[in-house]
Amino acid sequence: MSMDLSKISEKLISGDVEGLKQMTEETLQTDVNPGDILNQGLLPGMDTVGQRWKDGDMFMPEVLRCAKAMSGAMDILRPQLAEGDLGNAGTMIIGTVAGDLHDIGKDLAAMMFEGAGYQVINIGIDQPNENFVKAVKEHKPSLLGMSALLTTTMPRMGEVINSLKESGIRDQVAVIIGGAPVTEEFAEEIGADLYAPNAGSAVDIAKEHFEKKST
Amino acid sequence: MINNRTNYTIQESPHFEIFSEDQKEQIFNGMMRTLQYTGANVHHEGAREVFKKAGCKIDGIRVYFPPEVILKALSTVPPVTEVFPWDGDESKKIVVEKKRSYFGPGPTPPNFIDTETLERRPYLRKDASLVARVCDALPNMGYVQSLGSISDVTNGLADVYEFADMVRNTTTPIMSWSFTREGCRDIHRMGIAMAGGEEAFRARPNYIFYGEPISPLVSDFHAIDKCIYCAENRIPQVYSPCAIGGGTVPATHAGQLVVALSESMVGVIAAQLINPGTCVIIGGVQSILDMRFSIYSYGAPELSLLSAALTEVVHYCGLPMYSTSGCTDTKKMDVQSAMEASLSINAAMMSGANFVHDNGYTESGLTGDIFQTVMDDEIISMARVVERGVEVNEETMAVEQINNVGPGGHYLYEDHTMKWFRSHWMPSLMDRNSYESWEEQGRKTMKDRVLEKTRDLINNYEGPRDKVPGKADEEIKRILQEAEERIKKEEPKKQA
Ligand code: B12
Repeated sequence: MSMDLSKISEKLISGDVEGLKQMTEETLQTDVNPGDILNQGLLPGMDTVGQRWKDGDMFMPEVLRCAKAMSGAMDILRPQLAEGDLGNAGTMIIGTVAGDLHDIGKDLAAMMFEGAGYQVINIGIDQPNENFVKAVKEHKPSLLGMSALLTTTMPRMGEVINSLKESGIRDQVAVIIGGAPVTEEFAEEIGADLYAPNAGSAVDIAKEHFEKKST
Repeated sequence: MINNRTNYTIQESPHFEIFSEDQKEQIFNGMMRTLQYTGANVHHEGAREVFKKAGCKIDGIRVYFPPEVILKALSTVPPVTEVFPWDGDESKKIVVEKKRSYFGPGPTPPNFIDTETLERRPYLRKDASLVARVCDALPNMGYVQSLGSISDVTNGLADVYEFADMVRNTTTPIMSWSFTREGCRDIHRMGIAMAGGEEAFRARPNYIFYGEPISPLVSDFHAIDKCIYCAENRIPQVYSPCAIGGGTVPATHAGQLVVALSESMVGVIAAQLINPGTCVIIGGVQSILDMRFSIYSYGAPELSLLSAALTEVVHYCGLPMYSTSGCTDTKKMDVQSAMEASLSINAAMMSGANFVHDNGYTESGLTGDIFQTVMDDEIISMARVVERGVEVNEETMAVEQINNVGPGGHYLYEDHTMKWFRSHWMPSLMDRNSYESWEEQGRKTMKDRVLEKTRDLINNYEGPRDKVPGKADEEIKRILQEAEERIKKEEPKKQA
């Protein structure tokens, strides 16, 4: 039996968190390939959401609701997926650096990555350098996100990168940084892989990075 | 002339009100319900002890405030507090009480618009004295903040250097900030040095301290620790959040006011418990999260509305209000910033907020622009004209003069005109030239005139640097040196 997976996309776009979970479960009972649910249902849905947001047809709370729906569906789907189905959207660690208590921007970024299919582990605000390193060792994420809103706490991001190097795990993870005073130049200076000026573009920037890497 | 009017109501200045008494009471009660049933997190054991002793329920870091504790705290807030310029100039004295407004710049953006190149760059130490000096000369800046956080001094000492440099370049009272209690103490020592001793400072405090709780409903260790320090030392202080509508607080304005009021109240209660009668000013930045660009909007009309609304509720509590105006989301001073600033300055003025900050903030609070401050200064003076209202009495109604001149005459020769015309507002930046003179003088735009005026002040206005007593100057240098040593000792601790 073939299933119209665009229904899944629509459910996602409508931001119906519970409805999408149920639909994902029901679809898994049929003979549809879990990978197809992701690639022909969920991801095209999120693409539409992303596009509408860029066009100014959708707003932050709506987008976050869709991201939450996506994340709920992914929790159900993830154990069923075959290796490779997920592409590069693996695990992400994200947190705000030591001495910094700003959390809204970091949370927005976290939710956007959840929406893109990542399993996001949000370690919170005011996180000492070693907690980032520990989390990378423990969860082996493909992406490490750091947020800093203060010029005085920005240097912590470079220190974390250095600690990753010292621990010999720098190459295992792509580092993306953000926060209002952070700039592209600063990212380059401290040796971060990626910088995003806002949460919306962050997902695209990461995607592009991984696509380039895999070719 | 005998005043023979009876049962006569005087209302000279415009009457601007958002809420009825009932609505204010409702928001106030919303705060009481929130603090009683939701409570707030206080990351400070000492503060929690104080709250507990006063009758608050404590559960881990959460503190629940019963109404009687809140009401008791509000019963000891001072109705009026005075802040004095260090040189004794009475004209710059600040009286913190209802219906008196003082405007000023804002604290700590990372960037500054370079006054030569007009490009954005990191805020430098030299900018702090420049901002202080320019604001010292501006007649409508009633208090001063730095418009930046210094990037070219020892990491962790931007707060202390800023105060050291500013206080010697302006006599207008400063609103300072710090990272921790230690910075707070260094600044206080400088305040004392300028006042001429601890006793003198208590009698005539010469600066105000600014600290922030974390929206929603969190007081982090340093915020409340500094609040306690200021209370102990009777330093007038601000304790106010940046509440982000739809982000850290509800998207509905009333909900935002309830949360913003609640998180500030934690500082008011702490301060009053520690030292009843100490001055605490609340309010903060009140605006919305732009749901399209995900920025905290400093130019949104909601900022004007929310700030004025909160002013009414804060005054209802008997507290002074720290409000916001003269700021913008555009990148540097331009037409958009003039539009946004005009609206917010006028609303803040009408609302009667006590301190109105962020005049000179561009890029949604990420850049300080002294040119914007100078333009705001003019807008503030215009708004004051409207606020001053219309005086009505026999002299100002001038019925006799009207009779003298009669129909068809003119008033240019009248003594009455000679006496009164100078009360009309005189622009310092607005163009009212004829086309010809405007052309002759180089077709200057507002931007040209603002640049000219600002640079003229920068180059030619000396400020009070030479008036700083030698002893105080020495003391400040010593405090800076000691602060450097303190940081050296703290650094290894942090690494460990
Ligand atoms: C709200 C706010 C606060 C609130 C935070 C509440 C909370 N729950 O987070 C409170 C009041 C607690 C606060 C405190 C302080 N703040 Co503050 N704060 C702000 C403010 C006004 C808005 C920040 C915000 O939430 N914006 C909205 C969100 C959505 O945007 P965002 O954080 O920039 O995030 C976006 C992007 O940057 C990006 N992003 C962010 N993180 C990440 C991470 C990754 C991996 C990626 C990919 C992307 C990304 O995506 C997000 C969405 O698009 C800014 C001014 C500003 N315009 O930024 C000042 C600001 C950052 N604060 C500042 C200061 C100075 C402080 C204090 C030191 C003040 C004081 N004296 O106590 C304290 C410091 C406390 C601490 N130790 O951290 C300064 C920083 C100056 C400097 N030189 O660095 C600023 C610029 C204000 C100013 N003009 O002075 N602040």
